[in-house]
Amino acid sequence: MTPPIVSVRDLKVHFPIRSGLLGRVTDHVRAVDGVSFDLMPGKTVAIVGESGSGKSTTGYAVMGMQEPTAGQILIDGRDRTQMSANERMATMRRLQIVFQDPASALNPRMSAAESISEPLQIHRIGTARDRRERAMELLDLVGLPHSAAGKLPREFSGGQKQRIVIARALALEPQAVICDEAVSALDVSIQSQILNLLLDLQSRLGLAYIFISHDLSVVRHIADHILVMQAGKVVEQAATDEIFNAPKDTYTRQLLEAVPKL
Amino acid sequence: MIVEGRGTADPVLSCTDLRIEIGGNPVVDGTTLAIAAGETLALVGESGCGKSMTALGLIRLLPDAARQSGGQITLEGARIDKLSERQMNRLRGDRLAMIFQEPVASLDPLMPVGRQIAEALGRASETSSTDVDARVQDMLVRVGIDRPEVRARQYPFQLSGGMCQRVMIAMAMIRRPMLLIADEPTTALDVTIQKQILDLMSDLRRETGSAVLLITHDMGVVSESADRVAVMYAGRIVEAGAVTQVFAEPRHPYTAMLLRTIPRLDGPRKVALPAISGAVPDIRDWPQGCRFHPRCPLATDRCRIEAPPLAQVEPGHDTACWHHDRIATELT
Ligand SMILES: Nc1ncnc2c1ncn2[C@@H]1O[C@H](COP(=O)(O)OP(=O)(O)OP(=O)(O)O)[C@@H](O)[C@H]1O
Ligand SMILES: Nc1ncnc2c1ncn2[C@@H]1O[C@H](COP(=O)(O)OP(=O)(O)OP(=O)(O)O)[C@@H](O)[C@H]1O
Ligand code: SF4
Ligand SMILES: [Mg+2]
Ligand SMILES: [Mg+2]
Repeated sequence: MTPPIVSVRDLKVHFPIRSGLLGRVTDHVRAVDGVSFDLMPGKTVAIVGESGSGKSTTGYAVMGMQEPTAGQILIDGRDRTQMSANERMATMRRLQIVFQDPASALNPRMSAAESISEPLQIHRIGTARDRRERAMELLDLVGLPHSAAGKLPREFSGGQKQRIVIARALALEPQAVICDEAVSALDVSIQSQILNLLLDLQSRLGLAYIFISHDLSVVRHIADHILVMQAGKVVEQAATDEIFNAPKDTYTRQLLEAVPKL
Repeated sequence: MIVEGRGTADPVLSCTDLRIEIGGNPVVDGTTLAIAAGETLALVGESGCGKSMTALGLIRLLPDAARQSGGQITLEGARIDKLSERQMNRLRGDRLAMIFQEPVASLDPLMPVGRQIAEALGRASETSSTDVDARVQDMLVRVGIDRPEVRARQYPFQLSGGMCQRVMIAMAMIRRPMLLIADEPTTALDVTIQKQILDLMSDLRRETGSAVLLITHDMGVVSESADRVAVMYAGRIVEAGAVTQVFAEPRHPYTAMLLRTIPRLDGPRKVALPAISGAVPDIRDWPQGCRFHPRCPLATDRCRIEAPPLAQVEPGHDTACWHHDRIATELT
């Protein structure tokens, strides 16, 4: 059996609450409080739940952008804390993240092609010409014309910017992409284009996704497995059909009932 | 061709033929709408079509690059597009409130959020500081934030994205405005909190008879919380009417296609969704004739030359399409 790309074991991330003049730590926000799940190659795990329940913090910890307070994160079966600097650099290439707001993810002074090939440059991959060619391939992959290459972010709509961000995330050929509310800010017609793109890339490249979203109809459409979080804890996790057809937890049921109906 | 409110005799807010330009290009191109007391009008449409510019134009908070180049704006019967900046500021303070699209960017990163909400209350309230604290904390609870005494003292970076958005909502609602403009207010929120916020907005409407202009791309939110909906495309309103009518029988191809692209809870999974091909044209080269024609499966030669006006198709339901009678048979 293939091992999971990402394995999260009893992850905890606590933030101190300081108060008084001296700023003493009086309490903690248990942002993530015992989360475990596996992400298999080519699959999508979705994290849904209340605002402030620890979804983004979980994503940041998986990316190595947030130090865990406790618990383990295994990348291809290897504990991140046990890795050498080189190995850590290599895992950085294997995992990428796409945030909600494409505008702030792009440097306003860099052209689309420059933004897309920047990760290659940082990792010193290929010649300038190779990188330029790769940028063009990536533009094709996300459905943007080659004429987009020289344009600046302000010349694109929100949906086009998000395509550039996705192209950039794919530059290093990652195995997994964390999408943190990556389609939430896009309007529905563009949202459906981006979801179709993500599904298409998954079937062509075998990508795995951790898909953080509050939109349950989107999650149902794209995810294989769902984690429902509340106050830092996973209250229920199961295959997508099971969550939607036979939710066990009361909060999961509340979530499903609150979905606005068309 | 007027998007009329239920109580059109006396709308809280109306605008006629509103035009807004950026660098000589019309980003809002002749918008007419009215919102009655106690009513919610939803404004929907693709990214970049001019929804936020319409909203900002209505309360005269346009960015420097943009200017109103035509039309009239009336609030509670009085023209406001000619008021001085000072008069306008007073008005914004006690009659109008806006929830902005980018909550994090709209909050002061260096000020605890509780103080920001208290400042929104303004000097209008002659109450003691303990009263203000109590009201702020009460408001935080009403927008679904637990431990308000702790949260009030935190800075925006210490809150999650959705919490920042709710702080913005608390700032807008605490003054009980006559007109609330909410630009994507629930975009970053999970459905249970979203429901709580939408319920809070309808409480406000009931209690104070406020009018609400709700900008959203979530059709579920529109169907559950708006009375009427106006659909915008490339700077123009292309369809408007009661939500039930428009959703049951859209009379503009863009609306009909938009409604089809949404993943449904009873639809198939992991398959391509129907999408509207192409993208919204750039404001610098909006197509001639009907602006939707390059993406419209029903387009004919007439559409490529002549722009259809917004006209009534049934009482209270307007559309700007030459071929609205073909939609039911050819686009479903
Ligand atoms: N740097 C920080 N300092 C203190 N508290 C933090 C920090 N970052 C996050 N938190 C807290 O951790 C909790 C979880 O936040 P997180 O951003 O993971 O939530 P989320 O589930 O992504 O919510 P949303 O859906 O609103 O984005 C929240 O209570 C938040 O206030
Ligand atoms: N400060 C600005 N300078 C120049 N152009 C701008 C500026 N702000 C907006 N625009 C342009 O004006 C048009 C309308 O923008 P607006 O923000 O109203 O769109 P929107 O309908 O609110 O879109 P979204 O759903 O993405 O928020 C867009 O084409 C946008 O690129
Ligand atoms: S007027 Fe013509 S192009 Fe425009 S929406 Fe109607 S059918 Fe399509
Ligand atoms: Mg988050
Ligand atoms: Mg906007």
